Amino acid sequence: MAVEVRGHEHVTEHEGPPPRRGLRRFTGAGWLRVLWVTPLSFLLATALVVGARSALDYHPLTEFQVLLTAWMIIVPLGFLVAIGGFDYWAYWASGRPTRPEDHSGHGARSWKDYFRVNTDHKVIGVQYLVTTIFFFVTAGLMAMFMRAELARPGMQFVDNNTFNGLFSVHASLMIFLFVIPAFAGLGNYVIPLMIGAPDMAFPRLNALSFWLLPIAGFIMLASFLVPEGGAFAAGWTNYVPLSVEQPPGNLFFQMAVQWAGASSIMTALNFLVTIITMRAPGMSFWRMPLLVWANFATSTLVVLATPFIAGSQFFILLDRVLHTNFFEPGGDGYALGYQHIFWFYSHPAVYIMMLPGFGIASEVIAVFARKPVFGYRLMALSLMAILVLGFSVWAHHMFVSGMSPWLRIPMMATTMLIAIPTGIKVFSWLATLWEGRIHFKTPMLFALGFVSMFVIGGLSGVYLGSIPIDIHASDTYFIVAHIHYVLFGGSLFTIFAGIYYWFPKMTGRMYNERLGKIHFWLTFIGFNVTFFPMHWLGLQGMPRRVSDYADRFGNLNFIISIASFALGASTIVFLYNMIVSWRRGEPAPGNPWRALTLEWQVSSPPPIFNFDEIPQVVGSPYEYGVRGARHAVLNGDRAEVPEPEQVISH
Amino acid sequence: MVLVGAAVGVALALVAVLIPWLPPADSTEAVKVDNVYWFVTIICIVIFALVAGVSLYAVWKFRAAPDDMDDGAPIHGHTGLEVVWTAIPAVLVTAITVYSGVVLTEIDTVPKDHRVIEVTGQQFAWSFHYPDENVTSGQLALPVGQTVEFKLQAKDVIHSFWVPEWRMKEDAVPGIVTDVVVTPTKEGTFTLICTELCGLGHALMRAQVFVLSASGYEKWIADAKAAAAQAGSAAGKTLFTQQCGSCHRLADAGTQGEVGPDLDKVLVGKNADFIHESIVNPNAEIASGYQPDVMPGNFGDVLTEQQLTSLVDYLVKTAGKR
Repeated sequence: MAVEVRGHEHVTEHEGPPPRRGLRRFTGAGWLRVLWVTPLSFLLATALVVGARSALDYHPLTEFQVLLTAWMIIVPLGFLVAIGGFDYWAYWASGRPTRPEDHSGHGARSWKDYFRVNTDHKVIGVQYLVTTIFFFVTAGLMAMFMRAELARPGMQFVDNNTFNGLFSVHASLMIFLFVIPAFAGLGNYVIPLMIGAPDMAFPRLNALSFWLLPIAGFIMLASFLVPEGGAFAAGWTNYVPLSVEQPPGNLFFQMAVQWAGASSIMTALNFLVTIITMRAPGMSFWRMPLLVWANFATSTLVVLATPFIAGSQFFILLDRVLHTNFFEPGGDGYALGYQHIFWFYSHPAVYIMMLPGFGIASEVIAVFARKPVFGYRLMALSLMAILVLGFSVWAHHMFVSGMSPWLRIPMMATTMLIAIPTGIKVFSWLATLWEGRIHFKTPMLFALGFVSMFVIGGLSGVYLGSIPIDIHASDTYFIVAHIHYVLFGGSLFTIFAGIYYWFPKMTGRMYNERLGKIHFWLTFIGFNVTFFPMHWLGLQGMPRRVSDYADRFGNLNFIISIASFALGASTIVFLYNMIVSWRRGEPAPGNPWRALTLEWQVSSPPPIFNFDEIPQVVGSPYEYGVRGARHAVLNGDRAEVPEPEQVISH
Repeated sequence: MVLVGAAVGVALALVAVLIPWLPPADSTEAVKVDNVYWFVTIICIVIFALVAGVSLYAVWKFRAAPDDMDDGAPIHGHTGLEVVWTAIPAVLVTAITVYSGVVLTEIDTVPKDHRVIEVTGQQFAWSFHYPDENVTSGQLALPVGQTVEFKLQAKDVIHSFWVPEWRMKEDAVPGIVTDVVVTPTKEGTFTLICTELCGLGHALMRAQVFVLSASGYEKWIADAKAAAAQAGSAAGKTLFTQQCGSCHRLADAGTQGEVGPDLDKVLVGKNADFIHESIVNPNAEIASGYQPDVMPGNFGDVLTEQQLTSLVDYLVKTAGKR
């Protein structure tokens, strides 16, 4: 078939509109407009509340929560308008001339372009990653404060309220501002490249979804500044009635979740449409790299599940601010109703935080073992099985909650079933290593670290899936150990694997391999010494979410705290490596890992529209060791295309 | 590879057996739960040893030299193997599910002759009502060897009832009554721990549990009744220990609570009116360094006028005038 050659010479001609001068600089999209529109929207929100309450004969200011709610809706909207998130649509809707061929907001020519609304998926991917790493470090510091407090029994540094705030914000930031969006960032950068597309399907929506994220993070952090009661302190699970009775800081969780949730839903829709409609010619579903499969499954989960947590938090908001009674037992509400809605999102959320990592592990292990992924089709199908089963297990978080007893055994059965596709994935990764030629570069170390840690997290999940054991272990440190083996040993290790793996592609420079390996071993050892003993603490009787504990747990907690500080320090090695290598690392070739997937077939970093010529996909992405097999044909390099019957397809 | 796997398996088995992972099993339910635990542990050790054996052997055997530019063997899959590692885990998890289901049914079953104790969770204290004897106390006492059905309720937020040595746990949820069945098998003193985050005092929400001989239990009940029948400040002291001591420190009553202000300090020089107001309307004046809405606001309804008077008398005597 004829492949259309798309030159990009014409792109550089679009320099965008002429620079604004004088006061007009304050009316164009950007930070100068943010400077005055954001305070203005603050005043507007205040005026709306005061006006409406006065008109209804209420005291205009006594209900601080009403003001907070209005501020947290209207001020972020004002910020988004000012930074330029809606400019194109506003021009189009109001009939003013739009500039469809203007790519001035696309691609990064200087560091300043990373601080603007930018429609290039590669810029957005980097924006996501840098933002999420900022929140990762912030939330990690909160964990350090907690471990400092927990190093000894009794109260040392913080009071109970601050401690409860620390673990609530730590978990919320790690989940909503780090793991979920970090995967979205990696996917944003890599997926269009992997499927041979010039960008995401909806670049402007993509830009808008990124800018919702810092808003959510800012709101969560700002909750510490609430004068009365400080940060939200009912855990990231925010169970009612406790959350309804909390001081106003709790509102910040409800609103931050709305902004972060809207961001992930928009990104997930974008991924789905991109993956379904924008694959290069020849890339059938069975020729997609497993990371694309994983993001396809994840995005489906996000789109179907996230509205449930948004709903659950809106109900709490209404209970708090408008005094409705969705969950308050005093007004005929049903407290357990909240938990069902919450976990109907939050269990699938575990897979939202896991499946992209499975995808990254599959890419990295195949490349560094120089072997095709073992059982490719079963690997893809097991992702889909996890997606379907993931919706049928939510009540296993509620085995001791007092819910209807009959629900327990069916939920245990489905929970146990999930172990099967998960096991398939682990065994297939191990089989991929078999007879390979394994190169232990940093991404591979993190991928293998992920597999081993995830096996431990998966097996402790089998313990918790068994109801009699769960009755004993739930809400103890055993749970803390389990979720960190899954989300740290699982998700975070794959995020590190992905960052190191695609770092040369994103920055055009190589990271320092030695520092990468030091980072891995510090993390791996620090992680295990920190979290493994927590299994014992939990089984012996230490509940989770406590600032103080029985004296007999003192020594072990002290060791855990020391190890956690080493774990925290390992992040410094990572940050140093990233920053220094980004500025001064060795220039990276287009394909330093000799990988077959499409993102490695273009320069590092890729051209502004990814491919000078849309590639033609002719085979599987993992044909390592297969003589003459090709994944794709690019750049008119047609001489070596094997005849169709020679293509070894699996 | 088999050697590596076997070595890992033996090491794990030693870790599992030599380290006391579980606290003592002091109820009939605990013994059953522990059997499930060991059943799952054996399966997990076998699986982990298998995975560790294969992966450690593979990363050692198939490591490549840095300049090795060759690819590995182009193996795409093996249907037989894939069927095996789908089927065997399926069998294992089915076995775990069935065994867990059987044990769950057993530990849920309430025998005909059992005692009922009503448990109420409230920020940040437990209280126990013994309907057979019509006694209410802040401490839990029960005779050894008798099955007890705990009927759990919560006044404000969700709490959770857990005694690690019994292995049993259940949330106490406002608006509904939940239950949990325990047959303690060993006399002694245990700690009841709240395991559901319930607010600022969550870490300190504990109650003492006494498992007593049949005669010891009768004596305990008799003592509790006598304490309830006391009048004046003696009754006040009992009330204080039961209702207030888990949050407030008071030297005279020997309580060590740290959720609320230290009453030996904040009540100095305060009169009866102030103390009365502080109990029924805790937000009226908040001691510096503490927050409003932490202390329950319903003591005015919970306590009878007579109880309230004796409590105020007691506090004026011990902490107020000085």
